[in-house]
Amino acid sequence: MKHRIWIFLIGIFCLFTWLAFRCIKEEPVKFLIPKGWPKPHYDFSKNKLTAAGFSLGRKLFYDPVLSNDSSISCASCHLQATGFAHVDHDLSHGIEGKIGTRNAPGIVNPAWNKFFMWDGGVNHLEVQALAPITNPIEMNESLNHIVIKLSTQLSYRKAFKRAFGDSIISGQRVLLGISQFLVMLNSSNSKYDKYIRHEKDGKFSVQELNGLKIFRKHCGSCHTEPLFTNNDFANNGLKVDTSLKDYGRYSITHNANDSLKFKVPSLRNIEFTYPYMHDGRFKKLSEVLNHYNSGIKSSKTLANELQKPMQLTAEQKTDLLVFLLTLSDKSFLFDQRFSYPREKS
Amino acid sequence: MYVAFSVAVYGMKAQKNEGSLIIKIHPVFNGKALKLTTEPYVNAHQDSLFIDVFKCYLSALKLSPGNGVEFKETKSYHLINADDSISLVFVIKNIPEGNFKTLSFNIGVDSISSVSGALDGDLDPSKGMYWAWNTGYIDAKLMGRSKQCKTRQNSFEYHIGGYSGPNKTLQKVRLDLNIINIEPNKTTHLELKAELAEWFNNPYLLDLSVTNAVLIPGKEALRMAENYADMFQVLKITSPKK
Repeated sequence: MKHRIWIFLIGIFCLFTWLAFRCIKEEPVKFLIPKGWPKPHYDFSKNKLTAAGFSLGRKLFYDPVLSNDSSISCASCHLQATGFAHVDHDLSHGIEGKIGTRNAPGIVNPAWNKFFMWDGGVNHLEVQALAPITNPIEMNESLNHIVIKLSTQLSYRKAFKRAFGDSIISGQRVLLGISQFLVMLNSSNSKYDKYIRHEKDGKFSVQELNGLKIFRKHCGSCHTEPLFTNNDFANNGLKVDTSLKDYGRYSITHNANDSLKFKVPSLRNIEFTYPYMHDGRFKKLSEVLNHYNSGIKSSKTLANELQKPMQLTAEQKTDLLVFLLTLSDKSFLFDQRFSYPREKS
Repeated sequence: MYVAFSVAVYGMKAQKNEGSLIIKIHPVFNGKALKLTTEPYVNAHQDSLFIDVFKCYLSALKLSPGNGVEFKETKSYHLINADDSISLVFVIKNIPEGNFKTLSFNIGVDSISSVSGALDGDLDPSKGMYWAWNTGYIDAKLMGRSKQCKTRQNSFEYHIGGYSGPNKTLQKVRLDLNIINIEPNKTTHLELKAELAEWFNNPYLLDLSVTNAVLIPGKEALRMAENYADMFQVLKITSPKK
């Protein structure tokens, strides 16, 4: 009789240990608004963050099953180590090596974005993934077919069950899952952030301080701190590429005032997100600075801020560049939670 | 406790005085039952054509008595698809008993849904009625072939939508039912026809050799939407048996 009680107690103990480990593995995912930042644009109330939802999103983000021939995943063009940009590719390539018309931008702090894509054609974070998924030269796939493919995989049925309570896979759930991963891709730990927070690793050199001053004077009205974007569209004086003939926002709104306007990208981790601009025409940051300093092409919709040349000296340009490097956030670029999910799930 | 009890009683009572309405849609072309792909039809411009795809959203269904309280269906989105007979029949439940004179609904999806991210049910973006590159719902789709179209495989494609500013394609429909009877715990049947010939005429006469691809919001989409706005008409009402 006594034995039985012992066996019972040991059983209970094992059960609790197992549950505890399960809980540790599935620790809740928290979205934190850094001090002094505005409220995010994304409405979390309709897609409550959970560990299971986040890990489902991570699995989907890295899975080429999202493309028609299972060759391309989101991560193919959005690599963590380079700020989720497509490093060294001016125009990104998709399925069967087909070349797109734009540079895959980095992903950083997307929960604060109002519009997505260089032309702002996507109006909500949750449906952003649909654009590359359905684009015939990117992933060339339909959401419906993805649902069918995922439904045949036991690991996905389990992952959806953990995330949504039952194993039904729907288009909405696929998109909500990916969104749970995306909204966590937040960078707020660069040297710049530490400087703002007066932390001890955040001491700026004279050069960096001077660069920040120049930045605030010449760049900050569009690349607004702390997100380093004002979430708006602007014509930044780039010559039209005659082969691409990309008029940006105009292709969405058909409003002449939007001609040649593109989304103002965040500059966070800019050190790693090269090449730059919507068509990746500049390989180096120095080329970008030269463009703004003396390469602006005037046209009807050119941003007001760029009407007058900046006329920076070589020294000032160097200082500005040194400041831009303080926007790199290694803790984001190497955050284990955002990397390829190796553990079996 | 008392509140819970009274709510429960009220709930039971409310249920007793409610009935349902089954709506069945019959897609037709020039009055003849639509046969996809194989049956040739002639539009107002006298172009011969085949229909391959017809899909559209019906939303915000509302029943109005002459005077009194309207009934509005909650979460009212129905995607109908000529190729899926199940989608052509849907039930509206929990309608308070009474006589109703008009049925109103929209062809298409409201703008709020078009800016609300990933939604479920008939609004799930996997249903193929969602634009990815310029986000928003496609209100209605009509696709087919005609010799008049000098396009690949002589195809014509109309994906009609647009939710913002002057490009709003949502169409309001109001159908006179004369009188429709909703009785407690019983089902009333309403059959509607969807006359696809309307897409090609009234007020704008369409020439398939000119207009064969309308795939983005804008002026042409607005015209098409105005054309199809009156495609739904009442065919038959069957009141519950006494």
